[in-house]
Amino acid sequence: MPLDLDKVFPQVGGMIARMKAESTERRKRLQQALDILHAQASNLSNLTRKIASSKTTWLIAGPVDELDQHYEPPSVPSEFAIAATDGSHIDVDRHKSTRCYLINIGAVVLQYGSSPSATLDSFPNLYSGDEELVITPAGVKGREQPVEGTLLGIKRSVDECCHLAKLAAELPAGIPSLALIDGSLILWGLEAYPEFVTEALLVKGFLSYLSNIEKLNNNSRKIALASYISFPRSTEVVNTLRVAICPRDILDTDQHCKDCETRECDAVAGIRDRELFLNLLRPGERSARFISRSKIVEKHYREHEVYFFYLRVDDEIARVEIPRWVAMDNNRLGLVHSLVLDQCQRGQGYPVALSEAHEQAVVTGADRENFWQLVESSLVDEHLPSLSSAKSRSKRTRWV
Amino acid sequence: MDKVQRVGEIIEASTTDFVAQCYELYQSPPLGSLVKTRDSEVELYGVVYQAITTSFEPGRRSIARGKDEASEEAIYQANPQLLKLLKSEFSTLVVGHRQDDKLHHYLPPKPARIHGFVYLCSPEEVRSFSQPLDFLNILVNTHLPVSSDELISACLRQMSQVYEDSHSFLVAAGKELAILLSSDFSQLKAILGRIQT
Repeated sequence: MPLDLDKVFPQVGGMIARMKAESTERRKRLQQALDILHAQASNLSNLTRKIASSKTTWLIAGPVDELDQHYEPPSVPSEFAIAATDGSHIDVDRHKSTRCYLINIGAVVLQYGSSPSATLDSFPNLYSGDEELVITPAGVKGREQPVEGTLLGIKRSVDECCHLAKLAAELPAGIPSLALIDGSLILWGLEAYPEFVTEALLVKGFLSYLSNIEKLNNNSRKIALASYISFPRSTEVVNTLRVAICPRDILDTDQHCKDCETRECDAVAGIRDRELFLNLLRPGERSARFISRSKIVEKHYREHEVYFFYLRVDDEIARVEIPRWVAMDNNRLGLVHSLVLDQCQRGQGYPVALSEAHEQAVVTGADRENFWQLVESSLVDEHLPSLSSAKSRSKRTRWV
Repeated sequence: MDKVQRVGEIIEASTTDFVAQCYELYQSPPLGSLVKTRDSEVELYGVVYQAITTSFEPGRRSIARGKDEASEEAIYQANPQLLKLLKSEFSTLVVGHRQDDKLHHYLPPKPARIHGFVYLCSPEEVRSFSQPLDFLNILVNTHLPVSSDELISACLRQMSQVYEDSHSFLVAAGKELAILLSSDFSQLKAILGRIQT
């Protein structure tokens, strides 16, 4: 049955009416957030100290520069190259007799300048070996984690980064380059898994590939690295403002917030970082740098500690994440700013290299069907049993 | 010996026509050109009746990009991926074949093969193919997206270029068409008007 829109219509009306009623209050909060951002700008050392001594359940951004700083983009080099990867996957299907998953990496290298060129390619990889289907702790039996669902999504990010390192190694020397990842540099999802999974996927995987890219930098080769998050939902900078607003000198949210009646920090509640920076930045400008204070970064990322800034592209705010070795090098930082912006301008508001990498990687519903059909027909060819669950069959063959 | 130029590769084929993709963007042979492809012992001849350049993916349409660019070339310079996202194809009407070294101006027993290479016919092959003008019958009796007046005249103009005395070739073709189109004076007139030198 198709969705009955007649029944949905009044609910949509209710939602819009609620949003309209809240809009005045929201505007007030946003203005307050901006005022506090400006007021704290000259008070950076105090704020940094307060953040360092506070304990919060919500994620806060560590300030690096004055909070309300905004920077014009440096000029774009005349010759440069962009490498980007993106991925998609076919998850393990528990209704099928064959246990396997597939990761398809889209890889793009675009070179601009006097001899422009483009390489667009995809690299599908089928994983079906026991050691690929589960992550097992060294020497201990029985606690293995199956690579499927969320964990497969993380494994895909690792593969994307692995492939990006390979692309970066082949970039032409002598021209400034940017390696670009879609989404976040922070593999948040790993926080829900045991330490040996983080060790296998993050330390020995993702971070080792970031190191490979960093090591490519030398006197004749300059490669920056960044990840791009379009329309981010993060509130880390706003949370930093909440800490600033709190009248306590040292804040421990677990202890203090439940008994707090004045709730001064609610003055900025519900505001997202992107709303704040849309009002602060002019088109093309980037914000100050901030440090991610997430646990996983503090514990594992070391020289790749994640910094981020917000970038205004026309009427949208994007979040750009960079490792410390890019954030602390003005040259590379400027390169990320100018090249990410340039990519967005060439790509109708979204980095063209990432959008082409996505196009190369995307696995459609029809592709998925074809893949399983190929697996099943290959099983039949080899006279192996090709069993599938009754539930899966009933979804494919519908009847009345 | 005349140099044979490879112009594309077949991606769709039927008894009456085949579609070939060009190796380079915009490099399709001119409208009305005589091309050939080979399927084992049979060489198929065709006349190019349509060329098209589109996105590789049906869902992705090209958009205007040149508002702030000084030249059309600058658009491709600023967007190097474009050359990898667009493709040029041309469609060809099968007009004859060669089997056991004999030329036939009628349809071959089987269609062309997918991934068959397509070559532009050399002037010598064009002369040899067009000396009996029997192929005109297929062109007259076909229904294509391009009007047969346009296709026949384009084909004759192309072929006439390989003759030293192109005028005589066109006069002979005109006479042949006068017989084939004896009941359709207006079409004959339309074609003759398009091949006058």
